[in-house]
Amino acid sequence: MEERLYDLIFICRPDTPEEEINKIIATLEQAAAERGGKVDKTEKWGTRKLAYRVAKQREGFYVYLVLRSTQGEMIKELERRLKVADPVIKYLTVRLDEEIKRQQKLVKRRERRSARRPRKSAGGAEQSAAAS
Amino acid sequence: MAEEGTQQSRGPAGPPQRPRREGGPPGGGPRRGKRQYFRKKKVCRFCVEKVDFIDYKKVEMLQPFVQDRGKILPRRMTGTCSKHQRWLGVAIKRARNIALLSFAGVS
Repeated sequence: MEERLYDLIFICRPDTPEEEINKIIATLEQAAAERGGKVDKTEKWGTRKLAYRVAKQREGFYVYLVLRSTQGEMIKELERRLKVADPVIKYLTVRLDEEIKRQQKLVKRRERRSARRPRKSAGGAEQSAAAS
Repeated sequence: MAEEGTQQSRGPAGPPQRPRREGGPPGGGPRRGKRQYFRKKKVCRFCVEKVDFIDYKKVEMLQPFVQDRGKILPRRMTGTCSKHQRWLGVAIKRARNIALLSFAGVS
């Protein structure tokens, strides 16, 4: 299986101590590594207001990870761990590689178009993009 | 002199009619009868900026396309092209799942 790219966001209770969040991130990284995955990026967005109440909380601590793996089993394991972890109130995994591939295709096509017709590059590329 | 008046008959006067969309309800919506007016041509905001990927994490980018209560605004209101509206819908739904945007009806 080819390599896949995933976004993983999880929300902790706002009163969770920082060390505990770090611990969760560390266990996720370890679990990912065990299953042939890799964590590309880790971002702590901090406490944000939730759009709706989750587990009776109005705020939550957001953590954002970018993962890549060749095994889908990894996601299963990570989600299981997030489900079990007490401070985590919500999580979401999104597979992104297909969308990024599509994006690159569009960029390439636009470049090709503008190279072919340098005079009206902006208008031509835009129109055809809208039409397709 | 009199001929001039007759020559300029009432041909295709008046503003062009709105193109009818296919697949709408058979009865059609409330049609504006004789009161027709020009409206500004709306342009897809994402096409202008050449957006290839709508990120569900950027809430401030999605916010203008959502009503206060969380409903996704229709294309006829925002002028988004069909391709970008499709991507936008996916992005908004993802953002809702992780509590970045509210679901419709939840205050």
